[in-house]
Amino acid sequence: MPVTDQAFVTLATNDAYSQGALVIGKCLRRHGTSRQTVVMVTSHVSQGTRAALAEVFHQVKDVEVLDSSDWAHLNMMGRPELGITLTKLHCWALTEYIKCVFLDADMLVLCNVDELFDREELSAAPDPGWPDCFNSGMFIFRPSLQTHTRLLKWAREHGSFDGGDQGLLNSFFSGWSTEDISKHLPFIYNLSISTVYSYLPAFQQFGPKAKIIHFLGALKPWHCKYDHQKGEVYLGDGSLCHLHLGPFMKQWWVEYCRPAAPSFTQTDIWQDLEAPPQKQTVSVEVTHQEDSSLHTEASPPTAPKEMFQGAHQADRPPGDEGVASEWTHPQDPPPVEEGRALGSGVLGSSQSEELVLELPASIGDLAIHLTPEEEDLEHKRQWEEGHADYLGKDAFDNIKKKLDKFLK
Amino acid sequence: MVSLPFSASMPLARSLSVTSLSGLEDWDEEFDLEGAVLFEIAWEVANKVGGIYTVIQTKARLTSEEWGENYFLVGPYMENNVRTQVELIEPTNPALSRTIDKMNSSGCKVYFGRWLIEGSPYVVLIDVAFTAWSLDRWKSELWESFSVGVPWFDREANDAVLFGFLTAWLLGEFAAQCEEPPHILAHFHEWLAGLGLMLCRQRRLPVATIFTTHATLLGRYLCAGNVDFYNNLSNFNVDKEAGDRQIYHRYCLERAAAHCAHVFTTVSQITAVEAEHLLKRKPDVVTPNGLNVKKFSAMHEFQNLHAHSKSRIQEFIRGHFYGHLDFNLDKCVFLFIAGRYEFSNKGADLFLEALSRLNYLLRVNHSDVTVIAFFIMPARTNNFNVETLKGQAVRKQLWDTAQTVKEKFGKKLYESLLVGQLPDVSKMLDKEDFTMMKRAIFATQRQCQPPICTHNMLEDSSDPILNCLRRIGLFNGSSDRVKVIFHPEFLSSTSPLLPMDYEEFVRGCHLGVFPSYYEPWGYTPAECTVMGIPSVSTNLSGFGCFMEEHIADPSAYGIYIVDRRYRSVDESCNQLTSFLFQFCQQSRRQRIIQRNRTERLSDLLDWRYLGRYYVSARHMALAKTFPDTYFYEPQDPTSKQGFCYPRPASVPPSPALSRHSSPHHSEAEDEDDERYDEDLEAEKDRLNIRQPFSLPYRNKNALPCVSPVPNGNSTPSSATSPPSSITSPPSSVSSEKN
Repeated sequence: MPVTDQAFVTLATNDAYSQGALVIGKCLRRHGTSRQTVVMVTSHVSQGTRAALAEVFHQVKDVEVLDSSDWAHLNMMGRPELGITLTKLHCWALTEYIKCVFLDADMLVLCNVDELFDREELSAAPDPGWPDCFNSGMFIFRPSLQTHTRLLKWAREHGSFDGGDQGLLNSFFSGWSTEDISKHLPFIYNLSISTVYSYLPAFQQFGPKAKIIHFLGALKPWHCKYDHQKGEVYLGDGSLCHLHLGPFMKQWWVEYCRPAAPSFTQTDIWQDLEAPPQKQTVSVEVTHQEDSSLHTEASPPTAPKEMFQGAHQADRPPGDEGVASEWTHPQDPPPVEEGRALGSGVLGSSQSEELVLELPASIGDLAIHLTPEEEDLEHKRQWEEGHADYLGKDAFDNIKKKLDKFLK
Repeated sequence: MVSLPFSASMPLARSLSVTSLSGLEDWDEEFDLEGAVLFEIAWEVANKVGGIYTVIQTKARLTSEEWGENYFLVGPYMENNVRTQVELIEPTNPALSRTIDKMNSSGCKVYFGRWLIEGSPYVVLIDVAFTAWSLDRWKSELWESFSVGVPWFDREANDAVLFGFLTAWLLGEFAAQCEEPPHILAHFHEWLAGLGLMLCRQRRLPVATIFTTHATLLGRYLCAGNVDFYNNLSNFNVDKEAGDRQIYHRYCLERAAAHCAHVFTTVSQITAVEAEHLLKRKPDVVTPNGLNVKKFSAMHEFQNLHAHSKSRIQEFIRGHFYGHLDFNLDKCVFLFIAGRYEFSNKGADLFLEALSRLNYLLRVNHSDVTVIAFFIMPARTNNFNVETLKGQAVRKQLWDTAQTVKEKFGKKLYESLLVGQLPDVSKMLDKEDFTMMKRAIFATQRQCQPPICTHNMLEDSSDPILNCLRRIGLFNGSSDRVKVIFHPEFLSSTSPLLPMDYEEFVRGCHLGVFPSYYEPWGYTPAECTVMGIPSVSTNLSGFGCFMEEHIADPSAYGIYIVDRRYRSVDESCNQLTSFLFQFCQQSRRQRIIQRNRTERLSDLLDWRYLGRYYVSARHMALAKTFPDTYFYEPQDPTSKQGFCYPRPASVPPSPALSRHSSPHHSEAEDEDDERYDEDLEAEKDRLNIRQPFSLPYRNKNALPCVSPVPNGNSTPSSATSPPSSITSPPSSVSSEKN
């Protein structure tokens, strides 16, 4: 039964983070959550992206940017862009819901996590850097205008010791570390993969149980390039991702590309999903607001199968190359059945089915094009949004070449 | 070379403009502008936004003299501006008339008129907003042609797109409407007009194009951001800097226009360096900005104006410092800095620091000179502060008291004389008079220091000037030889405090101080110069560069140029301090001589002189585009020719450094100083400025080669030498004529 007064909430402050939010929305749906899904967006998110988000989420909510303006602190952490994350305090104003789970846009949900709604405000998982603090990438809260006001007041009066929302929330909910152990969520609900190396044996032991992955740090999945045929994720400079990072990045990309098959009509999408991979490959270019030329060599319909193969490999002992990757999750249905589950069980509710079916169009709207004309149009749109790729393909030298053609 | 003999019969009245023009006539004889049409296109034509307006507006007279009926300024139609400064008329040129009709019938609104300024040039004004419906289509064309997009939220850039397409349309239509193939010359100013130029080239219109930047977009942004600009000029990743500052699309338009232009120009050597690194094109011509110099028929009228305005400033000082008038007003030197309130770009920081050092120098040298430094920079205020207004009221009251006593005194004197008696001086003033005067004196008692700021500042505690003063401790104390007055508002002749307009005020001061860090041209020191007021500028300002290049001993002419380019801040500050200290040690007579010399330079800043650089740029563009009709001898970059305003014929007025030990030489000494002969000196300068105009001819006959004239420190007797600039062509005419 759908629960209408509880919701998963995420936040997109620009088009790049919107891609992350989109993946969260899709994962939640795919794992059959019974709760509502909400994405808060700021004015920097373009109209096209909003439309795409609206296809996946129940609600797209406009919020204003809240900036701590605390440059000194933020610079100390080397993350000046973090100030914008204070905007997430607006989630307390979502009073149409009684209880919510907040998820950062740079997370990847691996299975159904509806049990989180059994917890109380403010429940969260510890931060890997300082376990007496919780990581504010995921937390359970009760929307309340009163709390919202108090938080803003607190922010004004006390600031944040790290300049971002995490410092603020930790000082506001200062009792978290000592008062109620039930508010301590297991680390598997917010597994920061940047910390994997620091305690490798634990990672190998408990990692397969992880439910939510958090791409902490400056490198986000959408900064990478994904070669679908090889199933490998590359960094911006063309090198391969770190061993332990790669599989998660890949998983993110699989989720991202899952319904991205513009050639499909709405009627035959499910058959194609279960059909064997097509032999011919279609070159798909993923353009991106910040990083140009995210090239995806993809044979679109095979995405689920690819992932399942990866899942099967997870039976191999961890530690080997390319192994600490996709685990089967006890909570998840067996991989082979998943396709069927998608088609029948979870999507039994007509609402979800419609949403998923609409997805190809929305993704196409977001970034992926097949024709050069569309690609050109998208490129122009990026300029007109103020996101010219001035360090890449839009460098003046390229413009100059165009000028020189008629200057001869 | 034959130099004119100097005789007493030489006319003394100044009428230099005639000689400055002589060259232009020569050029007109040789070069046939028939059939050529000049369009000058800028967003600030009949539309004041910033400094470009001043440039175009003052230059119009000279250009329309040269081009007459074939000169058209093109700008945006703004109803308010048109109502106040344009007279709409029917187009005079038949081809242009057809062009405008055609455009108006295709959904544009194009107006034609006369701009009511000196020279009353024709203007074509285009209503940009009226064609806003075409924006999307034109943006798509912009994208297809140049791969540049313009964000929807940048209103100015969208206006630039509309304006660009409309001007290109105008020029293309005009070319099509002309019966014979026309020779169109289009001169575009600034990035806002740049797109029109790019489209002319892209559509291969028969148009010779010139692009002039008055400053670069990126330079302005970088300097405002406290970047060590000039030392890193060659290291900037310009694409990144522009992109990071969200001005990438503007920067692309600017750089593309510079790249496409037949001839690219900037306003000064320093901006040329900036453009070379930020726009990646070296300007072909440097076209400095001029002024329309107002000539007074009476000689040295400007000296009288100085004396008059100075006395009014002194009155203000008397009120401002009431109760603390422990210094000699006749030994006061008035310095000022004025302009937009950009604390470090305008060099206010350097000036303040130098003032503090000057204060120390004057004190340890027991100087009797008092320096009063005015800061005229508008900031946020809420009106005058009470203490300064009270000061003026107190002064007024003392004046009234003195007048009353004087009346009574005079009456008694008169009555005594009427009865044939010499007055008894002891009875002239009675007790009542003394009481009145005592009361008045009592009112001038003051416990506090004279105020620094004339207004109540809204951001008193964070104001950079006030904070700097607090740090260096200049509080108008009685032992301070340097006093500071901060007037955070533009001057106005209706002010109750200092009722003078800017020009009067400048004339009353002794020295303008503009030690700017970023100043593409710098009209403020130029204005000082034409009013005969010496000034301090820097070699980072266009004006400073220009003067340094053209005058052998600038400080003798009252043009002090601080080196901020190759020296550290501390060294620059010391240099500025020494300039100020030298200036303070000049006697009154020396200052008068210096002002005479300064004023003589005004010919150098007159459009009649500086306009020739524009002429040169136009000629170059025509010759590049229509090589069959026009010919331009390219300048050999190796033969740097040296016209330089020489040292003044007399001894420089500033005391040599060795004289520092005895700064107290009396004025009487100077009176006997026969070394200075004003007329002789003026005549020599006059000959120097008469530059035979030596632009190359249209005919392709080889020009006679000329040996370079000795550079720089030529003696005053070598009267005529060609101007030095990157454009100055071989001075063939001068040698032939002499």
